[in-house]
Amino acid sequence: MAYAEQIAKSLSTYAADSSGVCSALFELGGMVVMHDASGCNSTYSTHDEPRWYDFDSYIFISGLTENEAIMGDDEKLISDVTDAAKQLSPSFIAVTGTPIPMMTGTDFAAVAKEIESRTGLPTFGFDTNGMNTYVSGVEMAYASLAERFTKYMRPREKTKEPSVNILGATPLDFSGEDCYTQIHSMRKMLGENGITVQSVWAMGDTLQNIMNSSSAWANLVVSYGGLKAAKIMQREYGIPYVVGRPIKGLNEAIVAALHKSFKDDENRIAYEKNTHADKKILLIGEGVTSESLACVLGADAVIPTEFDSELLRNGTLARGEESLRNIAQNYDVLIADPLYQPIVQSCTKFIPLPHEGFSGRMFSAQAPDLVTEIPFKI
Amino acid sequence: MLKIAVYGKGGIGKSTTVSNVAVAMAQKGLKVMQIGCDPKADSTMLLRGEKDIPTVLGLVRELKNDFSLEQMAAVGEGGVICVEAGGPTPGMGCAGRGIIAALEKLEEKGAYEKFSPDVVLYDVLGDVVCGGFSMPMRSGYADAVFIVTSGENMALHAAENIAAAIENFRGRGYARLGGVILNRRNVKNEHEKVAEMCKKANTKIVGDLPRSDTVTEAEELCRTVVAAFPESEMAKCYRALADDLLAECGF
Repeated sequence: MAYAEQIAKSLSTYAADSSGVCSALFELGGMVVMHDASGCNSTYSTHDEPRWYDFDSYIFISGLTENEAIMGDDEKLISDVTDAAKQLSPSFIAVTGTPIPMMTGTDFAAVAKEIESRTGLPTFGFDTNGMNTYVSGVEMAYASLAERFTKYMRPREKTKEPSVNILGATPLDFSGEDCYTQIHSMRKMLGENGITVQSVWAMGDTLQNIMNSSSAWANLVVSYGGLKAAKIMQREYGIPYVVGRPIKGLNEAIVAALHKSFKDDENRIAYEKNTHADKKILLIGEGVTSESLACVLGADAVIPTEFDSELLRNGTLARGEESLRNIAQNYDVLIADPLYQPIVQSCTKFIPLPHEGFSGRMFSAQAPDLVTEIPFKI
Repeated sequence: MLKIAVYGKGGIGKSTTVSNVAVAMAQKGLKVMQIGCDPKADSTMLLRGEKDIPTVLGLVRELKNDFSLEQMAAVGEGGVICVEAGGPTPGMGCAGRGIIAALEKLEEKGAYEKFSPDVVLYDVLGDVVCGGFSMPMRSGYADAVFIVTSGENMALHAAENIAAAIENFRGRGYARLGGVILNRRNVKNEHEKVAEMCKKANTKIVGDLPRSDTVTEAEELCRTVVAAFPESEMAKCYRALADDLLAECGF
């Protein structure tokens, strides 16, 4: 990525990849350790994790010191994590990187291997570095779950009735006054259309259900962070996936795509190109959400977070404040997180759509349940 | 694909040895890629004559990510694919971290898939002085490490350090120590000294290269011995070493 693309003068930045890992794994009974002096933990707990005060989870900071970084003292990290794991008996361990270990070249895969050999617990090492957005962290975490935990169920035994795994759910993309509201709405919407939910990766569900994911008929990828896990399960079990976020106006298309995929095992993108709108509307946000909502509204989308160009229908990839400002000035309406307002010109109508991955908890209580309503008129 | 990393004290003859081995392997019909992991970017000089090639980090510095895999590599003597990791501006930045960034960039650009070499040779700067210089021996990179040393005390000391580092990494799934290549400086009791070091490190001498003026003559031509003087005794030694390294790796 070019450095100019990372410059933000008046805009916020997206939650970091390490927060994405923590958020994805928060509810699964694992122990997640951010390898950092301190800072990444407070950013995560203060801004990025609405479940922090309501839900117990083993999220730790390693307390990396200057000397340990200079001397490459991985043993301190490995032995501290091993000792803590022996006391807490987590279902798995994850160690995530931050900028300091990135600079000293810590080999997290190797650290994880050593911890796993000492504890006997499944251990993941994530090469996060704070330079990428939460989306890549979510992607790493769910891909690792798919590689490691879905293999307990072989051979694949499909459920009797049509079922799906919802992949890519974290409060960073699915927030609200109650961050589970949209998860319940997705379950309800799918249930009303004859589709049961085998598992939700990973909100309001258990590691056991996730381990049984291979019994689902298809995967529903509701954010880009879930796509790699879907591809792994397709490779391992032949489970097809549908990409699209349940949103009022797109739910029917998602259900139809799922039913087709149940029959032919083909992958599908539920959102299509839609240019039928009276005004020029632009969305800025996470890829699957923006493409899905853009399809419903006849809008264009700009995606500043990690995304595949092959998934683009209504959008383009761009980041950096100047790029976004230049694009936004060509539109009548901009729909984005409230903290994007500084780049809007006076002639452009701004519609706030809170996105926890960008503005943290500041506006999350105002985030709508998009599954059941689009609470603004253009 | 066999991946080999070669370490050893600075100035001990790693690049000369690796380049000769690379050409010897290429002459056997193998597709070889030599990756210089040294900010000085001089690993592949004997393979590419006087021609300069851009380094990976030089391209990153100049073009960010807007360059192709082909720009990072050049075809040298015997068809050996030459890559130089390069490094930060001398006296600044972090060379070790640079090696990590360069090797990651090569992987990101699909070097191993697109070139599909039979053998990859990582020629690594001196000792395992920091995390960055252990990168070529990490999981997914080299399968085996070979250490070049003479019988000189400082070279032996460096070899011991490298062997100790590999032993220290045993629980990490890193490359194994394949053995030691003795590059003779004709010091007294040289073979015995190196054999003693190998015994302590629980490894063995896999190659024994005599000191030869032919190496200097070939260097003056900016070529490998194997290419410039293929019938020489030294060329035979390098070819034998190439065979021994391949055999040691079960290739």
